[in-house]
Amino acid sequence: MDGYARWYRRLLRLYPKPYRERFAVSMEQTFTDLRRERAGVLWIFTETFAGIVRERATDLGRLAMTSNVFRIVKFAALAVAGLMVAGIVTVMLLARGTGEDITGVVAPALLLVVLSVVAFVVATVMQGRQRKRDVAG
Amino acid sequence: MASSGPLTPAVLHILLALSAEERHGYGIMKQVESDSGGKVKMGPGTLYGSIRRMSDAGLISESDKKIDPKLDDERRVYYRITALGQQTLAAELQRYRQVVAVARERLPKTAGA
Repeated sequence: MDGYARWYRRLLRLYPKPYRERFAVSMEQTFTDLRRERAGVLWIFTETFAGIVRERATDLGRLAMTSNVFRIVKFAALAVAGLMVAGIVTVMLLARGTGEDITGVVAPALLLVVLSVVAFVVATVMQGRQRKRDVAG
Repeated sequence: MASSGPLTPAVLHILLALSAEERHGYGIMKQVESDSGGKVKMGPGTLYGSIRRMSDAGLISESDKKIDPKLDDERRVYYRITALGQQTLAAELQRYRQVVAVARERLPKTAGA
């Protein structure tokens, strides 16, 4: 195995595992065939890399189609709400006794908390529906 | 994939390449290049990505064909077109025929205008 073949094998590791298990050996064989015909190494590497990006994007899309997207939204909403509440409490503690008007800071943060809670509830409902569909399907 | 509208050029060329005989990946690549007069050059990324999608859609499948290891690399996987793949190819070629028929009807008019 020459240096290019070794690098090509390494490049193939970037494919999602199920894809790699199914096609990596064939792709290596094809790489060897192409090299035998003196095809440009740079072209093969670039083309394969584009294929990796496509497969990864497809995988990501598939993942988003499942309930994972709702889980991500739920966690993001919780994180935002938590941060905002912590921020509000900190500002209130710092402003205590100073007589400073903190409405301009607290009001938008409170709005974000409310929006995050709404997003959390909606994502939870959608996740439940998705699960029911998956069970039914 | 069978009923979702026109096929991508890669899928069409792969189906065409497999319509005559079973081939391995590199064989498909060479056939596509030959069929297109060198205009379509498919790399491993496009080829195996398409093979995966086509295989999942039931258009092609891995062949049981075992090649004599003395003559060929025994690790090679051969692919064959399925009945669904043949139907899909036939439907696509029919669609092309209709497009060509419409074009033939209209071209003299546009040429004369």
